[in-house]
Amino acid sequence: MDIEELLKLLKDELLLVLGESYGDYKKETKADIEAFLTLSKVKLERWTSLLQAGELTVEDYEWLLVSQKDLLILNALYQAGISKLRLGHLKNKIIKTIVNTVVTVVI
Amino acid sequence: MKPSLSFQYLQVKRAMLFRLPFLLLLLVLFFVSCKGLKTAVFDQYSYQQAISIKVEGLSLMGDATEAYAENEEDVRVFLLELDKIVEYEKNKPDNAVSYAMWQAVANEDRNLLAGFFKRWRDKGQLSNVFIDEAKLQVSESLDLIIRYEANKNKTNETNILNFLSAN
Repeated sequence: MDIEELLKLLKDELLLVLGESYGDYKKETKADIEAFLTLSKVKLERWTSLLQAGELTVEDYEWLLVSQKDLLILNALYQAGISKLRLGHLKNKIIKTIVNTVVTVVI
Repeated sequence: MKPSLSFQYLQVKRAMLFRLPFLLLLLVLFFVSCKGLKTAVFDQYSYQQAISIKVEGLSLMGDATEAYAENEEDVRVFLLELDKIVEYEKNKPDNAVSYAMWQAVANEDRNLLAGFFKRWRDKGQLSNVFIDEAKLQVSESLDLIIRYEANKNKTNETNILNFLSAN
C-alpha cells in the first residue's frame, strides 16, 4: 500500500468526519490533523505493513493509533512545560537587568 | 569632574529619583504577573522514580506474552508504585505540567503504560509484535517525563551559575 495515498485518504476522511462536529474550527482542525499525520507517518507506515502481514490485529492497530494520539498530547504538555521553564529563566534575567540598571543609575 | 558635567549628572540623578517609585511599582507588577511561570525545582527522587518506572514497566510489559493471571501480582505491585509517584507529583507545588504528564501515563483509559496493563488483563495474553510496538510508545512517553525533569535541573544549574558569577 502506498503510504502517501493512505495518508491523503486519512486526511480527507478525518476532515470530513471532524468537519461535521467542528465546522467552526475548520482551519485549526486541519492543522491538528496534518500535525498528527506528519508526526506519525513512520509509525503509521510500519503498523499498516504489520497489519497487512497479519502480525497485528485490527484491535492492536487501533490501540496503537490511540496511543500515538495520547503520546502527542503528552508531547504538547512537554513543549508547554519547556516554554514555561524558558520564560521563567528569561523573567529572572529581566529582573536582574532592571535591578542592576536602577542601582547603577540611582545609587 | 567639570562643573557643567557634574550639574548634568545631578540633574539625571534627580530625575531618576523622581521616577524611582514608578520603577519599583513596575518591578512589583512584573513580579506579580510572572507568578504563573513558577515551576517546581529539579527533584532527584522524581527523576530516579521515573527511570525506575520506565525500566521496570518495560520489563513487565515484555512478560505480556504469558497469561495475565500468572503475572497479576507483579502488575498489581507495579501499578501501586505508579500510583505512589502520581500522588507524590500531585502534592508538589507549581508542578502542574509534570503531574498532568504522570496522570496521562497512569490513566487506564489512555493507551500508554497503565492502559497497556488494562489491555493485557482484558485479553489475557498479547502478541510479541504488539508488545514490541507498544513498548516503543510507552518508552517514548516516559522519556518525555524524564527529559522534562532533567530540564528543570538545567534551569537550576543556570541560576546557580548566575548567582556565583554575580557574587
